[in-house]
Amino acid sequence: MNQHNQEIYRTTPARTGKMLAIILGICIVGSVIFFSNWDYWISYQAPVVAKMAGESEHKLAPGVATGKHMEVTLNFIESSDFKTFAFNALPGEEGHNPTINANVGDEIVFNVANGGKSFHAFGVTKANEGVTGIVPTSAIKSASNPLKPGESGRSEFIPSEEGTYYYICTVPGHREQGMVGEVIVGSAQAVEAPKAAAPTGVHHDFSVNFIESSDFKTFAFNALPGEEGHNPEFKVKSGDEITFSVTNNGKSFHAFGIVSDPENFNSVLWNSAIAAASNPIKPGQGGSVTFIAGAPGTYYYICTVPGHALQGMKGSFIVE
Amino acid sequence: MGHHSNWPEWVYIGVVVALMVWVGGEAWNAERLVEHIPADAEVIKVTGQQWFWSFEHEDGTKEIGELHVKVGKAYKFEITSKDVNHSFNIHDYVVLLDAIPGRINTVWFAPKEVGEHAIQCREYCGLIHYNMRGKLIVEEADSSS
Amino acid sequence: MVLELQKPRPIWQIMFSTHHTDVGLLYLITSLTFLFLGGALALAIRAELFYPGTQIIADSMTFNRMFTVHGTTLIFLFLLPFASAVGNYFVPIMIRYKDMAYPKLNAIAFWMIPPAAALVWLGFADFTWYATPPYSIISAPGPAADMWIFGLKILGISSVLGAINFIVTILKCKHPDMSMGQVPLLAWSFLTSSLIVLVAIPTFAAALLMLLTDRLGVSGFFNPAMGGDPIAYQHLFWFTFHPEVYVLVIPAIGMMYEIIPRFSRKPIYSHSSGIFAFVLLSMVSFSSWAHHMYATGMSFTEKTVFMIGTLSAVPASAMHVFNFIATMWNGRIKFATPMMWAVGGIALFFSAGAGGVVNAAMPLDFQTHDSYWVVGHFHLFVMGTIAFGSIGFLYYMFPYVTGRMYNEKMGQVHFVLSFVGAVLVFFTQHVLGLYGMPRRVYDYPPIPEWITMNQIATVGAMIIGVSMLIFLINMIYSSSKGKSADTDDPFNLGGKYYWPYEAKNPHH
Repeated sequence: MNQHNQEIYRTTPARTGKMLAIILGICIVGSVIFFSNWDYWISYQAPVVAKMAGESEHKLAPGVATGKHMEVTLNFIESSDFKTFAFNALPGEEGHNPTINANVGDEIVFNVANGGKSFHAFGVTKANEGVTGIVPTSAIKSASNPLKPGESGRSEFIPSEEGTYYYICTVPGHREQGMVGEVIVGSAQAVEAPKAAAPTGVHHDFSVNFIESSDFKTFAFNALPGEEGHNPEFKVKSGDEITFSVTNNGKSFHAFGIVSDPENFNSVLWNSAIAAASNPIKPGQGGSVTFIAGAPGTYYYICTVPGHALQGMKGSFIVE
Repeated sequence: MGHHSNWPEWVYIGVVVALMVWVGGEAWNAERLVEHIPADAEVIKVTGQQWFWSFEHEDGTKEIGELHVKVGKAYKFEITSKDVNHSFNIHDYVVLLDAIPGRINTVWFAPKEVGEHAIQCREYCGLIHYNMRGKLIVEEADSSS
Repeated sequence: MVLELQKPRPIWQIMFSTHHTDVGLLYLITSLTFLFLGGALALAIRAELFYPGTQIIADSMTFNRMFTVHGTTLIFLFLLPFASAVGNYFVPIMIRYKDMAYPKLNAIAFWMIPPAAALVWLGFADFTWYATPPYSIISAPGPAADMWIFGLKILGISSVLGAINFIVTILKCKHPDMSMGQVPLLAWSFLTSSLIVLVAIPTFAAALLMLLTDRLGVSGFFNPAMGGDPIAYQHLFWFTFHPEVYVLVIPAIGMMYEIIPRFSRKPIYSHSSGIFAFVLLSMVSFSSWAHHMYATGMSFTEKTVFMIGTLSAVPASAMHVFNFIATMWNGRIKFATPMMWAVGGIALFFSAGAGGVVNAAMPLDFQTHDSYWVVGHFHLFVMGTIAFGSIGFLYYMFPYVTGRMYNEKMGQVHFVLSFVGAVLVFFTQHVLGLYGMPRRVYDYPPIPEWITMNQIATVGAMIIGVSMLIFLINMIYSSSKGKSADTDDPFNLGGKYYWPYEAKNPHH
């Protein structure tokens, strides 16, 4: 019945079983690798995006507060048919989308409340349309994590260059529906350039944790936007010795450094770096660094992994 | 394997080919009519972006998420996108054309009845593609804009 | 003529073997693994879409990644390797040669698949199985996207190497007494589909490379901000992938050409028209690619040209259907499991094609484009025709490969449940598409008709899932504990039914 040389076309159950076992093993190992790094696989944008942003938007240097301090109160309001949005008053009424006049170096503090029924968020940008190019310190919440009706927030904007800026609601579409006003910035008043002071001998210990929102879209230090302790602000005097201890409480890789421009993660100042994007701090690990604070000004402590500062991992580090 | 006459197969193929020619001809004719945009069609600029639609009428009126048009008028949509591919679709009126960045695509329609219809995105565009919806509101011809 | 392989060999000898039967077996195991992995993703997707709102998948990003990997896996990691499995195992036997023309190249082509699969699965990209720019350039996050691109690059190379092997084997290594017209139709199907692969895949390889350099920012082929045209990618992609769907279907039809004449106990109605239909189909498949792009804003003339190209492929497919039905006509048909799958496959092939004619007609496509109609349509092809033909052939070759017989009752239950499930899912999705539900949506507004149809589709999908479980149990159990089978005539049809076959009672 069975020819002798017909044997060749058959396999044995043992062989097939072993092959299945090997495949199963590979699948299990692969799953472990995949799920333990669940967020890493979709953690960064293609390099071309940064390139496009760099070309189309003029990189704004962060402002140094050398001028006067201004407080601006803004209120998100909506028309009753929800077709028109505005700040403070509807079109045609007094106080509608007030224009703010300032000079380079002025510290403009925005106190923004949501007086409407929808969700809103705030930011200042130089772009004359859309929601891109938001100056980091001027942001209050974001489109994906907005201010609910009745909530309010505070942010500041220190213009470093002359020109016209726009304060907007950063929820897509709201600017187009009317939530935009101008900030007209003139030249700086003459102020002498601050210099770094000699070491004062005063020592500060600060500690921050890298944390992430559960959908991995928002990153922060210590607490998420809106919560208590979110991206705490640190103030020291020029010449003080600072020790930063950081812990990675998130699931991604992070690194730390003090920079003058939060979007320029490569130029870390004063040897204040802990790890780096190419050799980052893994989840659960930590590190520390000690450095002397340099010239007075407003700086930022950020996560120096590309994109993380933009996703929210930055806070103010003010040297006086 | 004996030889048998092949005539049934030839007849069958003839029928299939005739059917395809008929479908092709009818489709060609229908599309030719559908693509003829009336000269008096009012232009509406449609811009898709992640993840909402915005519209601009000829007179400069801008609308976001909602589009108001009048019964009995012909409208020509000039569709483009600001970031990735989207597809502008009003299913009830079989209006469907991709919104491609860097390019303007044109399609037209003329609503015949008052009512509300859904506008949806018909090309995968990311996170909120499934909720990139809008509303088309067709109003009576004499109501003010 | 052949190697003596009587004693079971160590596993590593099989894995690093270059003999065509071993490579075929490796392809087979790999492809079946991915059938189940991709199928599991499908069940998760359908469970999520059972009702508006969130069911089991927490956010739309995860959902998007799941349908991307589902499509990529089932096409590139199940259907193509399965066809390669069957081809590798049987083509040398059919042309009466000892192995494939380039055995080492054959093994290399197989071993490219696991690393490529690892790249795709470890990244789990989210930009759909066609990775259309600009989304795949400016919006799809990495490294998942880049891993997918590399994975598919490797799979493309693997396909091309396999295709070269098939073409040279069939054309140059066939037995000198065998004329091309006598080569069995299954071998012809591999020849024609390999020719398509050779012409079509390099285009996609180029497109992938361009996509990668665009993502890196060093080029602007498809990125409008850098002067490119996103539609160019679609042309390149579909120029490959429309013929590619024929690469998928043609071997499945070839497999049906093995099953149907045997189980009808009649010779094939017309061997030569089968050959002619394969060759014609493979040539005509190149003329219709932009019917996937009717909605991108092509001119009327462009659309007409591609409509004509699409419709002209229908007679070639129709010839195969005619061949099958004419073969079965007046045959003494035995409806064993393989035959049920093949006949079910033909029925669904016909329905898929009929729906396809609707899509080909320009104005009608604007009703159905990128809606669930398209989902139902192509699934009727990939699942209803190709998977049905493949699974039927798997049952057919089971006794030949393992020497044992599978459980016939379980096989028939598998078929009935799968067929019912497939009809429930895919026919319903055609109607759902006509009601306007778009594709690739994580959630949908609570329109009552949409909800009902989604629920029917989910139930159908779960039925298919249950049937596949029965299949898995049958295959595993029967391969070690099944009854010994008569490898000349395991189905009791009378005569010798594997190559070189002779029917005992040929009907004319």
